[in-house]
Amino acid sequence: MKKVILIGSPNSGKSLLFNRLTGMHQRVANYPGITVDVASGALAALPEVVLVDFPGTYSLHAISGEEQVAVNYFSDALEDPDVAQVLCLIDVTRLEKSLYFTLQVIRECERHGKHAVVIANMMDVLEKHKISMDLEGLSAEVQAPVIPISARSGKGLDAVLEQIKQGLANGKGLANSGIVDVPDAILRGTAHKLAHKYGPKGDLLIKSQARLDSFFLHTAFGGIVFFGIMYLMFQSIFTWAAPAMDAIESLVAAAASVVVPLIPNHIAQDFVQDAIFGGIGAFLVFVPQIFVLTFVIGILEDSGYMARAALICHKPLRVFGLTGKSFIPMLSGVACAIPAIYAARSIDSPKKRLLTYIAIPLMPCSARLPVYTLLIAAFIPSTTLFGGLVGLQGVAMFGVYFFGMMCGLIATSVLSRVRAEQYEDLPFVLEMPPYRLPAWQPLIRNSWNRSKHFVTKAGVIILTVTIVIWILGYFPTMGEDLGASWLGQFGKLVEPVFSPLGLDWRYGVAIMTSFLAREVFVGTLGTMFGIENTDDNVLPLAEQIQANGMSVASGVALLVFFAIALMCVSTMAILGKESRSKSLALKLFFIYGIAAYVMALLAYNLVGLF
Amino acid sequence: MHLEHIIPFATTNDNCYHPRAFGRGHFLAAAFTFYNLVRMSSSLWSLTAGTQGQIQDFDTVLADNYRVRLMELGFHPGEVVTCLQTPAFGSPKVFRVANSIFSLDDEVASHILITPITPA
Repeated sequence: MKKVILIGSPNSGKSLLFNRLTGMHQRVANYPGITVDVASGALAALPEVVLVDFPGTYSLHAISGEEQVAVNYFSDALEDPDVAQVLCLIDVTRLEKSLYFTLQVIRECERHGKHAVVIANMMDVLEKHKISMDLEGLSAEVQAPVIPISARSGKGLDAVLEQIKQGLANGKGLANSGIVDVPDAILRGTAHKLAHKYGPKGDLLIKSQARLDSFFLHTAFGGIVFFGIMYLMFQSIFTWAAPAMDAIESLVAAAASVVVPLIPNHIAQDFVQDAIFGGIGAFLVFVPQIFVLTFVIGILEDSGYMARAALICHKPLRVFGLTGKSFIPMLSGVACAIPAIYAARSIDSPKKRLLTYIAIPLMPCSARLPVYTLLIAAFIPSTTLFGGLVGLQGVAMFGVYFFGMMCGLIATSVLSRVRAEQYEDLPFVLEMPPYRLPAWQPLIRNSWNRSKHFVTKAGVIILTVTIVIWILGYFPTMGEDLGASWLGQFGKLVEPVFSPLGLDWRYGVAIMTSFLAREVFVGTLGTMFGIENTDDNVLPLAEQIQANGMSVASGVALLVFFAIALMCVSTMAILGKESRSKSLALKLFFIYGIAAYVMALLAYNLVGLF
Repeated sequence: MHLEHIIPFATTNDNCYHPRAFGRGHFLAAAFTFYNLVRMSSSLWSLTAGTQGQIQDFDTVLADNYRVRLMELGFHPGEVVTCLQTPAFGSPKVFRVANSIFSLDDEVASHILITPITPA
């Protein structure tokens, strides 16, 4: 099968063109570095031809390992006899940056006897502002066809298909020997001259972008807008996603109530009810948050604001070894670590991305909230100060959230310095994309795809772990007595580990089951103390915990433990997939587990002094 | 000639100056501070919003591959760069070069040497 390569600079519209030509739904956004994988699909109009979309790169001279992977893919593709043509996409609104890379691609194509075609994208933007450019002159200079298109509107795509057909029918034309031996330094100069000679004249586009930047990056207004947007993002995750999350929980419960009575065997009933439906509910409940957060982040990326947000946050985060691009993933981590890990894809520096992955599990995610609520209700009095303005429980909640965030920042700060040389880093050079109105359909489609990816990739792992924990908790007592189950026996076996924190085996079991998801801690303790519906109201359980003689020091130790420990199988599954390193997830699980235990022990002994 | 040619240990492979330089006496510390001031005043980072500079060169602290990448993005010697925005609190500044807009932080921009065109 014949192949056509699609290549271009970051944020030049490759994925959009790829989707137009193949009918597929690759991730599209107005933010550099969105495409990180090679994607391929048959052309909708020519099913016998496969189009291969490469990650965007500014040059064939790679400066990072990841860019080198993209460049190596391209070099291999040029050696592939099935590759018939190379389509090099340029953004005509930012011609010089695109042209240097284009000249490099044309040179490599000539060296390997491949047919290169230049696709001039964003012509609609020039037309809208009544700006013209000499594409024929450019085509004559680079000795390759230059086809004007608008990937956004679809205009000019017929000409691209026609060019592909011609290339397949006629093969490679006469060699452009003039470019074959030209070094990169000369190509840079040539690109500079060609951009000045043939590029769009005037700076209308830049001026309109600069006007908006003067507002969005303004010292006062910029900050207000930034906090307003972040507030809306938070609201969207907590408020907009909440009804859908409740609906999913109700649907799963309703499905279970219909299916379970049909099963004749008692053990099978319990298995389907708790392990299967419980497991399915455990990961499906995250889907609305992932969908909403992906959608909101998509709006920020597509509108061009994401780059501005990264700029605003860069300086404070640099102190902790991170980059401004880490901000959105870390903020998302306050809602849920899973979409946050997905959001870290757009960080180009491998070192900063790794550090962001390390910080995200320490962000105080919403799954920690029920645990914090229970423990604070149990140990912190509901006293208010200053005429009711300040509540002690609220202060405690703020303190534990702040503690988690600071742990994340301290971890990245130390790691970025201790092992600085081991990781590849890139300086902060961020292309500021133009402001655009988001394209809603691709945004919704992308949010849906991301949710689907989570269900198919993490769902299997979560379901498997849920089933294993259910089996351990169910047998050999057939669910009659959790304390006598294998899990309970194991809890008693490891009780000496938790007793230095003043916790008995029941808390040990609850901590172990919370590996499924942190909030399971509350439900398990409810089961242990024989209190139902702890998800809706934690107060009876809090009272029971108090009555059971648990000390304040133990409560604080538990808070500290949950603030640090990576007790979430979903996070570990996605972290392993996204970082392409299962060992990273395991290392973080053990390191954070040990750190959580040591810090909890320290807190227990410190509070015990008072 | 750049000062790091005269005081080799004044720079490190990182893009800031090494604190050891301060421990070698007041003279070196003063020379170091003076050099830093001179260097900052003629770097891209010294531009304020609305001012322009013509790129002269890159200092030797900037790694080769970053220098090449900056040139690939349009930051050639001889090119005129306009500073569009200087956000508060030392955040990365926004520069226009050719028809593109980039944001560079001080770790990069302070190593791009320029001749100011518009007085700051």
